[in-house]
Amino acid sequence: MGDSSGRGAAPELLHYRPWKGAFRPPIAAVWPIARTGLLMLLRRRLFWGLYALSMMIFLMYFFGQYLLAWFQTQAGESRVVVGLLAIHPGELIEILADKLKLNGSAATYRNYIHYQGYMVMIVLALAGSVLIGNDFRYGSLPFYLSKPLSRRHYLLGKGLAVAVFINLLTTLPALALFVEYGLIYSWDHFTRNSYLVAGILAYGAVLTVSLTLILLATAVWLRRTVPLIMTWTALFLLCRQLATSLVDGLHLDPRWRLIDLWNNTWLVGGACLQMGPEAFDPASQPRWVEAALVLGGVSVACLSYLALRLRAVEIVG
Amino acid sequence: MSELSSIAAAGGGNRGVEKEFSRDPKGSAKTSGRSRDPARQLLPTPVLLCQRVSKWYGPVIGVNQVTLELRPGITGLVGSNGAGKSTLMRLITGHVRPDIGRVEVLGRDAWSAAAKRHIGYCPEVDSFYEEMSGRQFIETMARLSGYTSGEARRRTGAVLERVGMSGRAERRLRGYSKGMRQRIKLAQAMLHDPELLVLDEPLSGIDPVGRAEFISLFRDLADQGKCLLVSSHELDELQKLTDHVAVMARGRIAAVGSVAQIRDRLDDHPLTVRVDVARTTEEGGKDRRRELAGALLRLPDVVGVELLDDAPGEEDVGRLLVRARNPRTFFQDLTRLVLEEWFEVRRLQTLDESAEAVLGYLLGGRG
Repeated sequence: MGDSSGRGAAPELLHYRPWKGAFRPPIAAVWPIARTGLLMLLRRRLFWGLYALSMMIFLMYFFGQYLLAWFQTQAGESRVVVGLLAIHPGELIEILADKLKLNGSAATYRNYIHYQGYMVMIVLALAGSVLIGNDFRYGSLPFYLSKPLSRRHYLLGKGLAVAVFINLLTTLPALALFVEYGLIYSWDHFTRNSYLVAGILAYGAVLTVSLTLILLATAVWLRRTVPLIMTWTALFLLCRQLATSLVDGLHLDPRWRLIDLWNNTWLVGGACLQMGPEAFDPASQPRWVEAALVLGGVSVACLSYLALRLRAVEIVG
Repeated sequence: MSELSSIAAAGGGNRGVEKEFSRDPKGSAKTSGRSRDPARQLLPTPVLLCQRVSKWYGPVIGVNQVTLELRPGITGLVGSNGAGKSTLMRLITGHVRPDIGRVEVLGRDAWSAAAKRHIGYCPEVDSFYEEMSGRQFIETMARLSGYTSGEARRRTGAVLERVGMSGRAERRLRGYSKGMRQRIKLAQAMLHDPELLVLDEPLSGIDPVGRAEFISLFRDLADQGKCLLVSSHELDELQKLTDHVAVMARGRIAAVGSVAQIRDRLDDHPLTVRVDVARTTEEGGKDRRRELAGALLRLPDVVGVELLDDAPGEEDVGRLLVRARNPRTFFQDLTRLVLEEWFEVRRLQTLDESAEAVLGYLLGGRG
């Protein structure tokens, strides 16, 4: 049409090769939606910078486990004197291993995922704006919704993209640490502690479901990056500070910690990894069931909000 | 609405005009648009069928009991901003569900995925993922349509070629002009070879050469048996594309047919106009209302004049209800009469909203 070759000539008709194959079901559109979102985010240098920062924590754990193993085999019981100070490497290793929990126990993986929280929050705030907020802000939804798929598939696609990022930052590195520990110490680790794999996956699933829904809801609501980051920060940082002040400062009921959503995921994650209440610090914590209920309630609220907004897409768009 | 009920949608639905629109017992408007294939027009199932469709946005009604039936060909949809064009298009493309009524595309609920396989939608917005190239965008849309990756690539190439974008498809969307964006939008609407193409302001922002190409393409598609619904707020623009238009006003289909037919029917149907005139001049004297009534009755297009009761507290204003044919001539005559005889007209109101809208369009104003 616009080609010079076509101008002036008799109008040619569209010639499509007849489609004889079966159309893929609408659910198959979920992955193209997710992939589009992932590619958009992966094109941004800011994302790679943040991801590199998040990998610092992983590398600390990765090389920490490796160094501890090396120290344990190399240093043994020997005593090292540095100036006037005599150091017992064995004791040092023990303290570091217990402190940092680089001992391949449930606490290792729970703590790792917990420490990743800040980076997860920042990356997701960025992802939320790019993946979903822009669709609403610029009115791109009609392109999606004019294709043979429903709002449910659109949400699933965007949710899948968010889930990939969450798991890239948390579950997958935690599983890598589990594998590394087994390779360094003993193959028995894989069989004896297989429950840890299930625990990591369950923890990842809790994070994926709750954070994805919260992110989708806040992104649909706020649309822009800066307000999204501010709200996200308020949800996860200010609420945390507030909970700490109320429980540790004013000595109120530990249930006040339930307003800290990341702490809730930490408690539920600990339960997934079969950790008892004694493994939590600070010790004054609500029960993990209560934390799970709060997360469930927030997720349902977010889901309801999303359903409402997508039904009103003609107004949003 | 009563006076123009034979050409305008009046609650119960649209009514067709003359031979182009076969009328069913329910009074729906059937239009075959511009199609050169008579066999296509006799398809048992219409491509698009809207049955008494209404849509509210809270207390505001977006589309009000619209009944419309489209068969292959090009149909224009005109109306001013806020007339309900976009809402009707969203209802047709399954973006929103009607609160009342039903929209069917080839017999399937427009809301369903099965119906969407037969709909190509070119929305007015041109917001894309700016980092993507044109080709990537179309290919993604093809994947969303349910094609395998190989078929999606093939179709993307074909449709880009067809809209004249194959040479510029690798550029990022960010750098596209308005016209190029329109082409890309059209490409994504056409790529799955839909039976029904719903195009919202497709010619906006396109240069004259591109516009001619687009019009040629639309006609080709209509000749292939496709059904095109093309919206615009410029009647002149649509007239270059098709002679079959539906005029929307205040959420209703005010008229359906060719512009000439609508004009003719408007001329045939008495229009009801309320005229409020000062009873006396500054010098006093005769009852100016009766004078105006007499003068109006002498006009060739006036069918009748009714003297209305005075409104309480407004005894100085006389009210008339005038029924006239051929509105264009009538309004010209009325203007001349008022100026020559110095009637002090306080108010002039067309009582049929749809007629007013159609008139607004056909006489060059707003609906």
